[in-house]
Amino acid sequence: MNEKSVEHVVTAPPPEAAEADPAGADRNPVKMRTRGVNVHYAEKHALRDVSLDIGEREVTALIGPSGCGKSTFLRCLNRMNDTIDICRVTGRLELDGQDIYADSVDVVQLRASIGMVFQKPNPFPKSIFDNVAYGPRVHGLVADRADLEQLVEQSLRKAGLFDEVKDRFGDPGTSLSGGQQQRLCIARAIAVGPEVILMDEPCSSLDPIATARIEELIDELRQNYTIVIVTHSMQQAARVSQKTAFFHLGDLIEQGETPQIFTNPRDEKTQGYITGRFG
Amino acid sequence: MNYGAILAALLVLTVLGFYLGRGRARAAAGRGQSRLHSLPGYYGAHVAIWMALPAFTLFVFWISFQGAIVEGIVWNGLPDRVTVLGETKPRDALPAEQKQLLINNIRNYATGDVVSGDVTALMKQGAAQYLRLEALSSWILAAAMAILAAVGLLLTYRSIAPTMRARVRVERVALLLLMVASTIAILTTVGIVLSLLFEALAFFTKVSPVDFLFGLEWSPQTAIREDQVGASGAFGAIPVFAGTMLITVIAMVVAVPVGLFAAIYLSEYASRRVRAAVKPVLEVLAGIPTVVYGFFAALTVAPMIRDAGAAVGLSVASESALAAGLIMGIMIIPFVSSLSDDIINAVPQALRDGSYGLGATRSETIRQVVLPAALPGIVGAVLLAVSRAIGETMIVVMAAGLSAKLTVNPFDAVTTVTVQIVTNLTGDPEFDSPKTLSAFALGLALFLVTLCLNVIALKVVQKYREKYD
Ligand SMILES: Nc1ncnc2c1ncn2[C@@H]1O[C@H](COP(=O)(O)OP(=O)(O)OP(=O)(O)O)[C@@H](O)[C@H]1O
Ligand SMILES: [Mg+2]
Repeated sequence: MNEKSVEHVVTAPPPEAAEADPAGADRNPVKMRTRGVNVHYAEKHALRDVSLDIGEREVTALIGPSGCGKSTFLRCLNRMNDTIDICRVTGRLELDGQDIYADSVDVVQLRASIGMVFQKPNPFPKSIFDNVAYGPRVHGLVADRADLEQLVEQSLRKAGLFDEVKDRFGDPGTSLSGGQQQRLCIARAIAVGPEVILMDEPCSSLDPIATARIEELIDELRQNYTIVIVTHSMQQAARVSQKTAFFHLGDLIEQGETPQIFTNPRDEKTQGYITGRFG
Repeated sequence: MNYGAILAALLVLTVLGFYLGRGRARAAAGRGQSRLHSLPGYYGAHVAIWMALPAFTLFVFWISFQGAIVEGIVWNGLPDRVTVLGETKPRDALPAEQKQLLINNIRNYATGDVVSGDVTALMKQGAAQYLRLEALSSWILAAAMAILAAVGLLLTYRSIAPTMRARVRVERVALLLLMVASTIAILTTVGIVLSLLFEALAFFTKVSPVDFLFGLEWSPQTAIREDQVGASGAFGAIPVFAGTMLITVIAMVVAVPVGLFAAIYLSEYASRRVRAAVKPVLEVLAGIPTVVYGFFAALTVAPMIRDAGAAVGLSVASESALAAGLIMGIMIIPFVSSLSDDIINAVPQALRDGSYGLGATRSETIRQVVLPAALPGIVGAVLLAVSRAIGETMIVVMAAGLSAKLTVNPFDAVTTVTVQIVTNLTGDPEFDSPKTLSAFALGLALFLVTLCLNVIALKVVQKYREKYD
């Protein structure tokens, strides 16, 4: 009996089994869970029945060809899709077992606990300090100026930016380099004290050195945060993530441990994408 | 021969030339000597240009000078002694105005317009001569144009060959035409400014610029009799500019908040459907002629304000700055709102997303991210609106008063720069009295003020655009 189950794991399990318990072999508990998520933009069916588990304090990479719905899925996780009139989301999405689309959920609160970093660095047209202080101020997280300064410094340190900007807090955020701006945006997200950080192609507008810097940072942040990252770079996904999910034309084709997806994909579409045959 | 017919004939010939040239180019290509340098159409255009352009240039010059020449010939053809206004005098001894009057009458009689005074035999004689000369002139013109077109056709048609660089030549002429057009626009502006400047200088020889710029009293009447009381008039422009400022401030107090909030609502809150319905309505507001706003202000709003003031025991002038300012503000709302709407929309969506992603609400995002980002642009829009309010004429002519009072009380009647310009120049102005000339000085000052405002505003808006491009 024991042998049989081992056998079962080694030969690829049937898709139904993966469907029923996608996070079966997880070491980490599940932080966010989605079941049967469908997204429509007006008539367009952008995501079909996506069921994915996102483990706590690890990095989940979303990969797939352009237009397959990675960003759409990411934006469902913190309800950013609410800001798009024509977007309709159905299915169940949970954070710590709570339905995040329930009527009782306060979107403001939700987005404070699920931060987001965008493809293009988008610092506000304010000083570096005010950029980081924006979230805490909006949420009333700090009592006085001293606390705020401490929080800003802490966040900038966590984002690995503090040493580069410590003498120029008053400069506009837009005066930083692209890589610095992106780390500023990460610091800005961290300052609100999120549990999950969503990143949509955070390195796509950066050079290799700045990218390496952000990848290191992601690896450090993993100690404290649950991270979901969309990326077009297979190498990046392989380097930074522990779990990988492959999307194709609105379907979640395959999910699993990153090494397994990259060395031994079960689906031939995944195989084709990671070996560069399409996408 | 009538000028319309001449131009129509030229047009027809030109079109024909185009087809001829294109046909010949095609034929040349068809013989397969070598590839055409340019598309056949360029050869056609080259022919057409050289047929039309010289002939048309001649036409323009001819028309501009023909009148004076014909009049001169007619004048010299008149008898030596002429009768004008019942007096008979030697023709050469006629004063300039009477000469002009006679010539005008001859021309008007010839074209069938109204003549002043009785029609005299002299006029009839002159008019007949005038018509003869005009007909002759137009025939000569037509013939000359035909020759020019024919020469153009011949030269360019014969030059058509595959190696001819027709495209380059046509492009060069196109460039030239565009430059001529922009030069005309610039020269016109320069001309307007210069005429303003000279008349204003004429005014400043009569009234000192210091009195004009710093004087506190404005009463531009001029004497009917030499010994009349207050004959000199006072030309201190400060009360007039103060009136303009007062009305502008009132207008801005109305237009800026309403226009800005409308823009924020439309660009950030309104659903697509509401936006589709409300924007055109605002544009209708912008399309109402200012004269309509003017009588609305004068006949509806001003009495309403006066009555309301009376009800609470305030004395309100029946032509109050408040009424004019309010209506002017309403007129400017769509201007402010559509400019601000553009500017707010130019704030990148990424900034909003960034703010929403941190859990900010919509109004927090607008107040703390969108508006600060859009602020320079909005300031520019407001400055443009101010410059419009300052130059606005019709509403204040109808709804603001004529008395130049130095006051900040919005219930008082004030006058504005534009109103003074209109009243001093309409009616039966004498062109050398300070009263009339003061209009030019005011116009110059107004022009300088709005020019500065526009330059600053455009700079600000441009800087803002660069930031997000
Ligand atoms: N705001 C929107 N309105 C309408 N359709 C949209 C919108 N956003 C995305 N879509 C559509 O949904 C589908 C998925 O888009 P999504 O942006 O999620 O793709 P993606 O996987 O992130 O692609 P990429 O890798 O290019 O970023 C696409 O077909 C896209 O056209
Ligand atoms: Mg995307």
